[in-house]
Amino acid sequence: MSKPISYPFPSRAPMRLTFIIGMSVLTVFGFVPAIGVLVVSFTNLRGLPYLPVNWVGIQNYLDFFSPAKIGDSMNALRNTVVFAGFSTVLQIALSLGIALLLNKKIPGRNFYRAVVFMPTVLGVTVTALIWSLMFNTSGGPAASVLSWFGTDSAFFGDPNLALALVILVQVWMVVGVSVIIFLAGLQSIPAELYEVAEIDGASAWQRFRYVTMPMMAPSVTANVLLGVVNALQSYQLTYVLTGPSNKSTQVLSLLLYVQGFGAKSGTTLSQSQGYAAAISIIQFVLVGVITLITLWYLRKREARL
Amino acid sequence: MSTTTSAQSRVTAMGNPVERQKSGRRNRPRRHASVGVWISVAVILIVFLFPILYLFNTALKTQTEFLTDPVGITTDPQWGNFLVAWNQGNFSSYIFNSLLYTLVGSAIGTFISLVIGFPVARGYLRGTRLWTFIFALVLFLPNALITQFQLLLRLNLYDSRLGYILMVGVGVGIGPLLFSGFVKSIPLELDEAAAIDGVGYWRYLFRFVFPLAKPALATIFILQAVWIWNEIVLATVLLSDPAKFPVTVGLYSFKGTYSNQWPLLAAATFIVALPLMIGYVFIQKYLVNGVLGAVKG
Repeated sequence: MSKPISYPFPSRAPMRLTFIIGMSVLTVFGFVPAIGVLVVSFTNLRGLPYLPVNWVGIQNYLDFFSPAKIGDSMNALRNTVVFAGFSTVLQIALSLGIALLLNKKIPGRNFYRAVVFMPTVLGVTVTALIWSLMFNTSGGPAASVLSWFGTDSAFFGDPNLALALVILVQVWMVVGVSVIIFLAGLQSIPAELYEVAEIDGASAWQRFRYVTMPMMAPSVTANVLLGVVNALQSYQLTYVLTGPSNKSTQVLSLLLYVQGFGAKSGTTLSQSQGYAAAISIIQFVLVGVITLITLWYLRKREARL
Repeated sequence: MSTTTSAQSRVTAMGNPVERQKSGRRNRPRRHASVGVWISVAVILIVFLFPILYLFNTALKTQTEFLTDPVGITTDPQWGNFLVAWNQGNFSSYIFNSLLYTLVGSAIGTFISLVIGFPVARGYLRGTRLWTFIFALVLFLPNALITQFQLLLRLNLYDSRLGYILMVGVGVGIGPLLFSGFVKSIPLELDEAAAIDGVGYWRYLFRFVFPLAKPALATIFILQAVWIWNEIVLATVLLSDPAKFPVTVGLYSFKGTYSNQWPLLAAATFIVALPLMIGYVFIQKYLVNGVLGAVKG
């Protein structure tokens, strides 16, 4: 334990008081529910209050992989991983391209940056409605483009297409955050490095490969990690775009929501909150494992560059 | 594609001697690059602005006009759509709720970051490392929808404004870490000087640190405010009385009711989006700071 450095003020009491107030609120409404999820995942807690609650051991976890549920479980697991994987890769690739472009001295670049970042502020509900309108089946812009080619699509109503479209909308919404991080990384590269490379006769590609890429490695690591963790847990957009119980886009968080609170209210059978808590923990472990693997891979890659 | 040209144009912009010598050879690819740059910028602007302009265009149509020509530019703008959407959707109540939740919730979160971040950053408490670890832990908590619901149910705070505000208020995210990082830029001597002059801890924290830390606190406040303003699932789970719904849930249920009337729905969406777009102009700086702080933290 580090010992406290000398405290100059007359009394420690006010410091302790406000610290304890802040920490208590955070603990009661933040940490208690978080730890509670783990505890609840070993019980048969139900959505309706005042029903008896029993310990069921690891039954909820066994149920997740039981023949009756494995279909939904694996579907949600696969959707989560596909959603997180594709949206992160797309987000990183696009944001790197946009950042390199907007790092140039072009007129109005602050305005372009602001435009790219705006969807983050508009938020999920507005974003989802804007894109539902863009992809509306009764002759919206997307349908019009398809009709030029003599074809049509149900868009979010098409089980084979829905997840891909949700990924696109997600990328549209969050790409601005990555652009900001990449721009900061680009601006921290000293100009001298490019001068030296130029004097050494490095081509444009070589300067990108041996100056920009290694110097950008920390920004890439930060962006990929933020992107993956965020994408593995995000479900608000999917919730608004396609609803919680649409199988083709149901990610783990939405399965949890449907199991815990029911797609239709009043159906006690579907409101097994102990089971929903177990899904939470499985998702938590998945996020942890994928984060660690990503971190390990990116660190290794940084060292190689 | 734009990647190779970036390093190139940057070097050109610096105008070093080597570059000037070769300029004859370089001219051609640069001109190509700038056409490519402008095409790319145009594509970006279309991708990000067209959906919003299309929303606006749709909001100004009559239902019949939308059905006969969904993509055409409106010839007879129906400004009344906004009024109809505003009244039928009960948006004044939703927006009031959202403002209340966002302002009070973010204030609680910012206050928490301030009072726990400062003493830990200064080392005035035992266990600096442990507390810093706990601040970081806040970012990696599991999805606790179930237990948040159960907790409020048991505290008799289900379907109460206070309960929802407390739940979103503790969503401090990066706040405590960001703030304790910022405190290190305030010289320790200031604490000592103020203490010698007889300033107590609270007065020091709220009268000296608070004004000095305003940019950092504004960033923390705004990051949380954007999150709370956009939150929808927690509100669906923790609130059941439509009179208490924030604007996100209100807009979502409006969509359920008027799913076929796109002009009205678009007008409603625009009502929700417009304050955000205007506010964005003012808070942009703090958002960018927050994103960068989150990466360094």
